[in-house]
Amino acid sequence: MRRAVTFVTLAALAWAAWDTGADPVRLARGLPWLLDFLRRMVPPDPSVLPAALAGALTTVEIALLGTAAAAVLALPLGFLSARNVAAPPVFYPARAALNFFRSVDTLVYALVFVAAVGLGPFPGVLAVVGYTTTSLAKLYSEAIEGIERGPVDAITATGATRLQILRFGVLPQVLPLFVSYVLYRLETNIRAATVLGFVGAGGIGFYLQTYLRMIDYRAASTVLLVTVVMVMVVDAVSSRLRDRLV
Amino acid sequence: MVEVAGLRVVLPPAVVALDSVDLSVRPGEFVVILGPSGSGKTTLLRALNRLVEPTAGTIRIGGRAVTGASPTELRLVRRQVGMIFQQFNLVRRLSALDNVLTGRLGYVAPLASVAGRFPERDRILARDCLAQVGLAQLATRRADKLSGGEQQRVAIARALAQSPGVILADEPTASLDPALTGSIMDALRRINVERGLTLVVSQHQLATALAYATRIVGLRQGRVVFDGPPSAVTPPVVDTIYGGAVSR
Repeated sequence: MRRAVTFVTLAALAWAAWDTGADPVRLARGLPWLLDFLRRMVPPDPSVLPAALAGALTTVEIALLGTAAAAVLALPLGFLSARNVAAPPVFYPARAALNFFRSVDTLVYALVFVAAVGLGPFPGVLAVVGYTTTSLAKLYSEAIEGIERGPVDAITATGATRLQILRFGVLPQVLPLFVSYVLYRLETNIRAATVLGFVGAGGIGFYLQTYLRMIDYRAASTVLLVTVVMVMVVDAVSSRLRDRLV
Repeated sequence: MVEVAGLRVVLPPAVVALDSVDLSVRPGEFVVILGPSGSGKTTLLRALNRLVEPTAGTIRIGGRAVTGASPTELRLVRRQVGMIFQQFNLVRRLSALDNVLTGRLGYVAPLASVAGRFPERDRILARDCLAQVGLAQLATRRADKLSGGEQQRVAIARALAQSPGVILADEPTASLDPALTGSIMDALRRINVERGLTLVVSQHQLATALAYATRIVGLRQGRVVFDGPPSAVTPPVVDTIYGGAVSR
């Protein structure tokens, strides 16, 4: 059995390598071009720093607003798709819907929303909301399914209503996890939002793509550096907040 | 106070946890359910307020039907029945006082309580209940920062906050240091004597059961095999309950 799995895995990888034209020689031949590209990126052009910072700010705004809206919208969805809270006729369709919408990436949502509402950061926000709502709802529902039964029994035994049971038996158990998941999504959304500008959905990605198209690699490298710093700062702040939650 | 007739509980997949249980508890009794583990003690207590759904039979508490009650009627019954659990089952991240306040959930306006607002007199009552178990000074401490004995006393205060007619306690001392058994059982006896509350408590320790009960109900393999005063619990009775496997 194990031998068969190994064989099938290796065969699949070999086929994928052949089908994608993966070729170390080609990579080696491309190395000088890569080095040339890097060489033309230094030194970074400081004159585009204001534009890069403005773009970074927009990206952070897109991620913040989109994640915040999704954190709230995901709440009812999360409860409805938790096996131990929702009745089966609700749970199964809710789970299926989550898995369906979650399989579409933020960038694809951005393409759709740019087509729907036009260019700019707003379709970017909508794209973040679209993906994050379903992915958070899935995380929420798993947190809800992992709760201790005891406090729920105890609250039920007081004669509480279903809503009171959720509020006092379930929510205190899952809230720290929920906040932690939201912060984690914020970190990944900052990264996802850096490329939203490629498809016209605003933020720092727009500048990166523009300078690359203009073959202004020194300006592009300024934008890249700002992106890296922005992501690192948000990661650091967010992970520090998450550590304090557990 | 508690009327059980022909109670049968089949747990999934097909375990007969209780069968043909008849039990009539009068007001003010301190009933201890005695039996080996797996005899159905926990299932019986949880069936009384329908945390476990009875398969057949009838249950009435304080004159109200428990079996066949609508969700609203069931909540009205439950709020008059305090429950104490082996694992305390406090909400860990809430303070001791907030845990006791949850005992008022069956009485306060649902939406206001969900927003975290409780009427002042319910807060006062919760403080009183906490003081009665000797924990007034720990009101603001988070439940998971309390010792096991303190947590169980908070759980008793939560049950008292329900202004109950009956308190059900499922092995209330089994998760505690044996040295604390007496203090928890004493607290329950005080409730029984001073407030005249009816208590139905499960215990696996024979000596503790005999020391506190006014009446012993012996369960074995889901059936009542003994029902009488502690003084009538003779060695043959113990053998009947424990199947001769356990001796004193």
